[in-house]
Formats: sequence, structure tokens, C-alpha cells
Amino acid sequence: MLLWLFFKPAKAFDVLSNARPTANAVFFGLVVWLVAIPPVLAYIGGSNFGWRLGADEPLFLAQDVLVKISIGYFMALLFGFVSSAVIAKWMAATYGARLSLGIHYALMTIVGAPLVVGSIIHLYPHVFINIMVLVPALIWSMYLLYKGLPIVLRISPERGMLMASSLIAYLLVAAVSLLGVTVALWGRGFGPAVGI
Amino acid sequence: MSGIGLHKKLEENTGLLIFGILFVSSIGGLAQVMPSLFQESLRTATENTTVYSPLEQMGRDIYMREGCSLCHSQQIRPLLAEVERYGPYSRAGEFVYDRPFLWGSKRTGPDLHRVGGKYSDEWHRLHLINPRDVVPKSIMPAYPWLAEREANANGDIGRRLAALQKLGHPYDAEDIATADAALEGKTELDAVVAYLQKLGTAYGPGDKP
Amino acid sequence: MSAKNENPKSEFYHDRVVTALVMLAIVWAVLGMAAGVYVAAELVWPTLDFGEPWLSFGRLRTVHTNVVIFGFGVSALMGTAFYSVQRTCHVPLFLPRLAWFVCIAWQIILLLGGLSLLAGITSGKEYAELEWPFDIAIALVWVCFGIIFFGTIAQRKIKPIYVSNWFYGGLIIVITMIHVVNSLAMPATLFKSYSLFAGAQDAILQWWYGHNAVGFLLTGGFLGMMYYFLPKQAERPIWSYRLSIIAFWAFTYSYIWAGPHHLHYSAIPEWVQSLAVVMSLILLAPSWATMINGIMTVSGAWQKLRTDPALKFIVLSLAFYGLATFEGPMMAIKSVNVVSHFTDWTIGHVHSGALGWNALITFGTFYFLVPRLVGRELYSVRLANIHFWLALAGTMLYVLAMWGAGVSQGLLWLSLDEFGELRYSFRDIMASMPPYYLLRLVAGLIFLSGAILMTFNLFKTISGARTIQVRPPAVRGAGASV
Repeated sequence: MLLWLFFKPAKAFDVLSNARPTANAVFFGLVVWLVAIPPVLAYIGGSNFGWRLGADEPLFLAQDVLVKISIGYFMALLFGFVSSAVIAKWMAATYGARLSLGIHYALMTIVGAPLVVGSIIHLYPHVFINIMVLVPALIWSMYLLYKGLPIVLRISPERGMLMASSLIAYLLVAAVSLLGVTVALWGRGFGPAVGI
Repeated sequence: MSGIGLHKKLEENTGLLIFGILFVSSIGGLAQVMPSLFQESLRTATENTTVYSPLEQMGRDIYMREGCSLCHSQQIRPLLAEVERYGPYSRAGEFVYDRPFLWGSKRTGPDLHRVGGKYSDEWHRLHLINPRDVVPKSIMPAYPWLAEREANANGDIGRRLAALQKLGHPYDAEDIATADAALEGKTELDAVVAYLQKLGTAYGPGDKP
Repeated sequence: MSAKNENPKSEFYHDRVVTALVMLAIVWAVLGMAAGVYVAAELVWPTLDFGEPWLSFGRLRTVHTNVVIFGFGVSALMGTAFYSVQRTCHVPLFLPRLAWFVCIAWQIILLLGGLSLLAGITSGKEYAELEWPFDIAIALVWVCFGIIFFGTIAQRKIKPIYVSNWFYGGLIIVITMIHVVNSLAMPATLFKSYSLFAGAQDAILQWWYGHNAVGFLLTGGFLGMMYYFLPKQAERPIWSYRLSIIAFWAFTYSYIWAGPHHLHYSAIPEWVQSLAVVMSLILLAPSWATMINGIMTVSGAWQKLRTDPALKFIVLSLAFYGLATFEGPMMAIKSVNVVSHFTDWTIGHVHSGALGWNALITFGTFYFLVPRLVGRELYSVRLANIHFWLALAGTMLYVLAMWGAGVSQGLLWLSLDEFGELRYSFRDIMASMPPYYLLRLVAGLIFLSGAILMTFNLFKTISGARTIQVRPPAVRGAGASV
């Protein structure tokens, strides 16, 4: 499945659109585990190498803080994942595709796969290097979304384009909210000390 | 709905539409900006704040000309880390002779509000001519031409001070008459360094923190 | 693109001035973005100015912002306003010769103004850098723009004034007002003046100007563009007329108050800052109402996407509009602003609006407008589709690079160690930035190359090169569907 994604994405989407997975099966069988990968990698990386936020000296966090951050990361990813699947289902109705939540979970799993694979770079938590790896992964994900959505939902490419753009608008807003919440929490004393 | 009825009038009459937009968009400015323009405390100098000397004012104008304020703010926020890094936070009364204000909106380089007295004149000279001579990893542009130009090349410092005097800066006739002489033989580099060394020095024991 | 049903009234409307403004806007776009790419490179390699004062970052960055906002943005807004006001009022332009004067005078102001900025002549106020002689000329041109625009509306044959004209009207009225007040200055010499206001008061006034230039020019003006060209391209009426009324007045009322959020934690009164936070949050409602109105309008016209590359740009621009109008109020909240202020996050926010919203909707409009203006088909739909992907990739990369740089700067500046001392020196933090700036440079290059592709495409269309037939999209072929 993963190899198809990189070499024959259309094939992977075709297979998916024929399988009719149930929401629970996809969620507990796949989503929870995949979403756990980046936080676990970030935890391992953070405790072994320290966070490099750009400046030379790595920042080592206390174990309990690190665990809290990793759990927060997991929850944020899970929320982002579930919410985008739910919103995709809601939007799909507008675009003439009424499908189960399971298929939307599965679609989001495929779309998010490059990001999960890319998150292996969390093992070395240097912010810039992470961005360098994750940005191409993200662009690949966006390509998969535009390409896969009409195939899986069996709607015309034009409607798929509209829906994918709407989803991207949602994801951009969700991402920037996450950034804002993180920064605000950090300023209020969760995480390393700041002088505000 | 009567709101829609009212709007029907607005959208069918050019004059009313123009007036409506002008009225609605003015409320915020009148209620929020205007009071600030008449607030005495915002234009009352702190005890140690003095007007810029002719050389310093010329330095300030050159600082503006080279766009220094695009990368250097002059506004220290009342935050623990910021006060530790730059010094006592900025107060409104320290800026009353700043036309225009140069607080900036970006810190590609550090804040400069309290840079006065932090480094020697010589350090500033070397740094302005080539920043990488003193800060190896600096990404600041070099300003070699400042050392080659006369500060008062156009001979207009007197007119500059006269304009500021009209706006209420306490220069007297003698300050303006002797301004040319004060800049005699000075380079633009001298002027900028003089300005930088003046920045933020108004903070003193006489001021309430 | 179906340019076949050429408007029989095209003799009736004054469209040559529109064509001129659109072509000039394209030229300014490429010049302004190229200047942006150059200053981005200077932040990675600071010696790129070769010791030339006019190539120095401090001067060229000002040229970049002025050329893209007032060259590209305003020329495009003037052109589209002249185009749409004639068609929504069913009358030709009022005083067409004055329209040519506005067009030409504006270009002269930009050209001479740009040169004056390179020479270091500046009033030092952000986004209002041009010195007092230019300020007077700008006010004059803007009043003439208003005379033509409202004169045309006054002569209209249709009773209601269409919604796009309210936004263009707001642009003309509010920009004139804030420009005149903010530019009040005491001239010392021909090229040097001092602001009538000093220090903290000048700061409050400047951001009242700066924020509303963003509000009524970059947001409101371009919403006018959207309200005309989106329904036109979708061939459907706007989704909710009532929503557009409420959104317009709420937008016009609340935007004005939000300016001081650029001055959080500074030496201006506390109540001014707090009020700005509240009004910034309220502003989200009319901003998003307008976005929803646009998306719902286009949703019913999805079939049009098959043949129309222009509509795709507009759909994506609405996504970035949604991001930018959400991010703005969020960054106005003090506990976020404390980290984001003074960092590259601000630059990223501005560009998510400027690239993702303003530039994309203008590109979409131009792909629609130019073939109609010259009565030919678009030279190449394929190139326009490639441009779409370059624009999307460039904007995303830009925004992400600046998010990374901005959050790092904000948190590292504030970081304390276990003894309560600063953890990092400013120099170390600055020295860690060039990789992000390199990424931003690449993003800018990708976006610029898309704009150059559009320039080629549109100028080929105008010069009447052989028309490439639109090929029917291959079913599920790679890339052909989108």
C-alpha cells in the first residue's frame, strides 16, 4: 500500500474506493497507531538529543514535561485527523457523495501517510531540519489530497478540486490555531521557562 | 426587515452611500485615535528627555534614509526577558521629539532603544562600515558610504531644525544659526554614531521606573 | 475560456484604459516580486548589495512593498474597478479622459516615487514612505479616481448599486481619508519633511493608517474584485445578498478600530490596546461571512472549473483569505502577540494574505479578463494550470518557512534558563535564521516564476499569437484533472 502511494497513487485510491472499511476498524486498526508514531519519535529524539530550536545549544526538557508535550502532540494530531475526516464527510454531502466515516478516515490515512513517514526526522529534533523534511512531505500530501479525493469519493475532478481546496482552508486554519495555542500555553508556563 | 429597507435607500443613492461609508468608517478613528492625539501624557517629555542636537538629528534622518528601522525596533516591551536583554522598558515620554516615531515592526536585528552607551564609538564605526568585522555571523548590510559623505552635504540642517522648531521642538534662533558650524567636518558616520549613542539615555535616576 | 460571446457593447464601454492598467499591473507585479526575491537573498547573503546604497536592503525592501502594493495592487484595483463599474451600472465611464489621467499620473508617481525610494528619500513611515510632494500627488489622483467612480455610479441605468461597488467605494473613500491624515507633515526641504505628530501619538496614527490600508485596500478593495468577478465567472448570482450587506457594514465599522494591535505592550495607553484586541476578534465574523458567501457561490458552479483556470485561482485565494483573516485576529490576542510580535511570523502572515489572497485572486481575475478585453482566447490553459501549482507551492513554502522562523525567534528571545537568566544571545538566534531565509528565498523564486509564466501567457494572448486550442482533459490522467 505504501509503495503504491509513492509510485502509483491512483492505484492505491482505486483499491481504497472499492474496499468499504468501517469507521471503527480503520480508527482502531490504523489511525490510532499511525498518529502515535510522530509523538513517540519526537519523545525519543527529544530525550536523547535535545531540542535544537535554531541556536547552537540543544534544549533538554525534564522527562515529565517531555511526556506532557508528547501526549499533547498525540492529542493534537488525533484531533486534527478526526476533525478533518468528519469535516470531509460533512463537505462530501454537499458535493454529492454520501459515504461512511470509515472511507473518510481511510482517505485521510492515505493523505497523511507521507507526513507520518516524514516524521521519522523527529528522531533528530532540529527545527530547521524537520521543516526541510516535512515541507516536501506536506506538499506530497496535498498533491495526494487533490488527486485522491475525487477517485475515492467518486465525484468529478472539478468538484473534488473545490472540496479539496475547502479542506485545505480548514487544515490551514487548524494548523495556525495549533500554533497559536502552543505559543500561548508556552507563554503561560507550560514548557521551558520564558520571561514574560 | 426595516434594516433592509434602510439599506435600500443607501444602495440606491450615490450621495447617501458615500456619506454612509464615511460616517461608519470615521467612528473608530474619532473614538479611539482622536482622544490619544489630545492626551497630554503621551506628549509630555520625561524629566531627562532632551531634544536632539543638530548632529544627532542628522544622524536620525540618515538612520531613516537607510531603512534601519525596518530591521531594528526601538520599543522595549515590559517583559522580563526583554528588560533583561535590552534594559528598562520604553515609556511614551521618551519619544516626544521623534518625528516620525521609529518603533519599527520587526527585529531582524536587536532592539536599539537603549543602545546608547552600550558600545564605544569606535565599535559602532567598525560595525557600520562592515558588521562582519565585529560580529562574524551578522546578516546586517554594510554601510561603507557613510564614512565618505559629509553629514551636511546639502547644507540644509538649518532648515531641518527650523521645520522642527515650528512643530514645537525647543530650538532657539542661535541653535539654528550655528547648526551648519556644528556639522562642519563631520561625516554621516559621525552623525549616525552620535544618534545611536543618544538613544534611550533619557532613562535616569530622576525618572520613575 | 469562452471569449466568443464577446460583449456587443464593447464599443460602448471604455475598456482601453482598463487594458492599459491591467498590463501595467502585470509589469509592476513582476518587478515588485523580483525586488522581493532580491531582498530575500540579501538576508541570506548580506554582501549582495555590492556596496551600492540603492541596492541596500533598507532601500530595496521599501521599493518591494511599495511596488507590489501600490503598483501591482492599486493598478489592478483601478483597472478592475473601471471595468466592473461600467458593467454594473450599464453606462460608460464618467469623464474617460480623467480616467486616462488617473492611469498615467499614477504610473508616473510610482516610477518617480520608486526612484526616490532608491535614492533614500523617505518619510520613514511604514507603507507611507513617499515624501510630501508625492503625498499631495497621490491624494489628487485618488480624488480624481473617486470622481470618475462615483460619477459613473451617479449616471447609472440600474437602480440599486451593486455590492462590488460598495467595496471599491470604501477603498476610495477610506484610503483618501487615512492617507491625508497620516501624511500631514511639516516640509523642511523639497524632499524632507517631519511628521506633524511625534512619538507615541504618531505611532497610534501610523497604525491606524497602516492597518486600514491593509483593511480597505488589500482586503476590502480585493473583495470588491471578488464580488464582481467571482459571480461573473461562476455565472451565478452571489449566494446571499443579505449576508453581503451585513458583512460590508460590519467590516467597514470594525476594521478601523483594530490598528493598535500592532502596538501591543508598547508605550501607548492600555485601553487602546485592549479595545484593538476586542475589535480584531469581532472582525473575524464579517471577514469569514464574506468568504462563506464566495465559496457558496462557486460551489454551485463546479462544472465551470473544467474549462476555467481562472476560477481555480479564485477558489484557492478564498482558502488563503480564510487563513489570513483567522490568523490576524489570533495574532492580535496579547498572549500570542507577545511571542509573534517583531518576528518573521508577522512577515509570514502578511504574505499568506498578499501571495495567497491578493495575488491569487488578481491572477484569476486577469486570466478571465485579458482574453475578454482583447477578444481572443487565452494563449495557453496548460501554462495557467502550471502557474496554479507554482503559486500554491510557493505560498505554502513561504508561510511554513516564516512560521518556523517566527516561532523560533519569539520563543528563543524569551527563553530563560534555570537561574532566570537569558538562555540565548541575540546574535546566536540571528545566526540560526539564514536556513529559514533560504527556504523563503526558494519559495519566492517559485512564486515569481509562476508570475513570469503568467506574464508570458497574457502578453502572448494580447499580442495575438496563435491560439492554442483547449484540449479536453484526459480522464484521470496525471495532472490533467486539476
